[in-house]
Amino acid sequence: MQAPQLPTSQVEQPKESRFSPYQNNGGTCLALAGADFCIIAADSRLSLGYSILSRNTPKVAQLTTKTCIASSGCNADMVTLQKYLKFKIQMYLHQHGKEMSTPAVAQMLATTLYHRRFFPYYTFNIVGGLDQNGEGCVFSYDAIGCFERLKYTVSGSGHALIEPFLDNLVAYKNTDNKPTIERSCDETLELVKDIFSSAGERDIYTGDFVDIYIIDKNGTRYEQFPLKKD
Amino acid sequence: MSSIGTGYDLYTTSYSPDGRVFQVEYAGKAVESSGTAVGVRCKDGVVLGFEKLVISKMLVEGSSRRLLTVDDHVGMAVSGLLADGRQLVNRARDEAASYKEFYGEPIPGKVLAERVAGFVHAYTMYWSVRPFGASVLIGGVDKDGPFLWMIEPSGLTYNYFGCAIGKGKQPAKVEMEKIKLNETTCREVLKEVARIIHSVHDDVKDKDFELELSWICEESGWKHKMVPKELAQQAEEEAKKALEEDMDDE
Amino acid sequence: MKTKPVAEPSTRTQQPIVTGTGVLGIKYNGGVMLACDTLGSYGSLARFRTVKRLEKVGDFTVVGASGDLSDFQKISSMLREMSTSDSAYDDGCNMTPRDIHQYLGRVMYNRRNKFDPLWNELVVAGFRDGKPFLGAVDLIGTMYEDDIIATSFGNYVCLPLMRKAGTNLSKEEAKQVMENCLRVLYYRNTKSSTKIQIATVSAEGVEIGEPFEISTYWGYSAFQHTEYHGKRL
Repeated sequence: MQAPQLPTSQVEQPKESRFSPYQNNGGTCLALAGADFCIIAADSRLSLGYSILSRNTPKVAQLTTKTCIASSGCNADMVTLQKYLKFKIQMYLHQHGKEMSTPAVAQMLATTLYHRRFFPYYTFNIVGGLDQNGEGCVFSYDAIGCFERLKYTVSGSGHALIEPFLDNLVAYKNTDNKPTIERSCDETLELVKDIFSSAGERDIYTGDFVDIYIIDKNGTRYEQFPLKKD
Repeated sequence: MSSIGTGYDLYTTSYSPDGRVFQVEYAGKAVESSGTAVGVRCKDGVVLGFEKLVISKMLVEGSSRRLLTVDDHVGMAVSGLLADGRQLVNRARDEAASYKEFYGEPIPGKVLAERVAGFVHAYTMYWSVRPFGASVLIGGVDKDGPFLWMIEPSGLTYNYFGCAIGKGKQPAKVEMEKIKLNETTCREVLKEVARIIHSVHDDVKDKDFELELSWICEESGWKHKMVPKELAQQAEEEAKKALEEDMDDE
Repeated sequence: MKTKPVAEPSTRTQQPIVTGTGVLGIKYNGGVMLACDTLGSYGSLARFRTVKRLEKVGDFTVVGASGDLSDFQKISSMLREMSTSDSAYDDGCNMTPRDIHQYLGRVMYNRRNKFDPLWNELVVAGFRDGKPFLGAVDLIGTMYEDDIIATSFGNYVCLPLMRKAGTNLSKEEAKQVMENCLRVLYYRNTKSSTKIQIATVSAEGVEIGEPFEISTYWGYSAFQHTEYHGKRL
């Protein structure tokens, strides 16, 4: 049976345009943990729609001597979240007289994100660094605070392009070529650069420069790697 | 004397039988034991001076400022309890800011003086509060030209050509009356203010002092500023010289 | 019987009313330059012809705004109040251009969190300690610094021209670039005008020029022969 035809009004429905508090500014973040090092990187492009607002706006921030965070998504939320974390970490230092450990930073970020469960920070975060035992660690998050510790992770606009390759090249999924020795820090760094160059070819929101932080027992080293500007 | 005050001087909420409010008078005493503030309104601006008694030789030079800025175009000299005076400065700053926010133009001297005076007066009306142990000079320039107001702990305020408050107010006023304020410029009056403050200072009885000088005139860009160091020093030198000459004449 | 309380009408800004269009900012050798036109549009109506959209803050900073002009005037009065209290303290410590940029970012972000945004895109230009500063803030709270910034329609039309010109410019060259960009903007943007204003910040301080007219050229033959309009030649 057909549904009865409802009378439609001749008057046009009122149009509603509402303020949207979110913006997607794109960007890709990546982190890889080794036995005694961690590499965390993100591109520095700030996009809005088809426009590039800025080519050199960092997404990675160093939080402690052995912890970094990389965030993509909505720049306004990103800036706010990173400011807040830096503030809390500084206060922790004052109160406890020691630096916050990477897993503690990771837990705090999850709590912070979940506090805004019903008006979320539109950010995709990665925390990377060394844990209390000096082992490389990486934490991956969704926007509302669900997180887990991993050996490698990627988030942001290039996520879908990169993740399968990391599964293959880092976790050696779907391959029989599992090497006997682990990838060194320098080799990992080259891998990171290749990954970003490749993502920049296909993802319009990834490009310009990669900010790379290499964290090991000697501290944190920063390196900038240029990408295509198109 | 003490028989008159007895029983009637504990609160501002009761008069004495002969119609005085002793707490307010005591607040006035707090001002009279403080360093002297001098304010002069001349033909092209206002100069404020303060004899800042240095309570300790260990004090950092320039600290516990007595001449403060309220708004771009208004300065304030605080005599009496500095902590109380700062409260008045903060109030004045809020009043100036809210006037500008509401009317879009700088607060006139009269309005500012009356609003701060109203605030001071309110503290003479309730048993739960103590009157301000501070008097202030409010000097500045508005669209009608230079102005100088003084507010007493009672909440009284008057508009002056020249005014002094604090320990040496009497001799300072006598000295000020000799200057033709309508014919002098800020530049010329600087050394007069320095001279007056030096002359009322008792080198024997009083502690050492630091001379604070501020002004608002064309040379300061019509903004309340501390007088530049070299200029202030020069004024002080000239003042000292003039005082020495006076001594020699006698 | 009690009457039902009537719902208060929404007083939050859901769209801008009187608006200004693109603001351009560029670093040059020894300073920063901001430029914009002086038109206040009421929808598509050219409502106010000479509205100043560049505001000096303190001794080293200029803020330029596109978007809702009443919101910008509110922001201006906030900044003015802040800078007078800053100078009243007379402690030899003043807000730097970066401080002002960060402050505005927080203000905009907090307002967006209340779903009551200040509907602007702001450009902050300054010069402090021998270094130029140029930063942008929008109604969401997005904040970034760059050598070249253009807001709203200027982002599409002028930014490519400015990127091409680069930042290795003298003050005079930078001025030429800005004038040309605003001229091109005028040719394509219905909400811009030829009356413009330019501000520079350098070691010498802030200089906000008076509004002036820029020239336009409509003498191309296609414009002369109106019979061709809308037809394939």
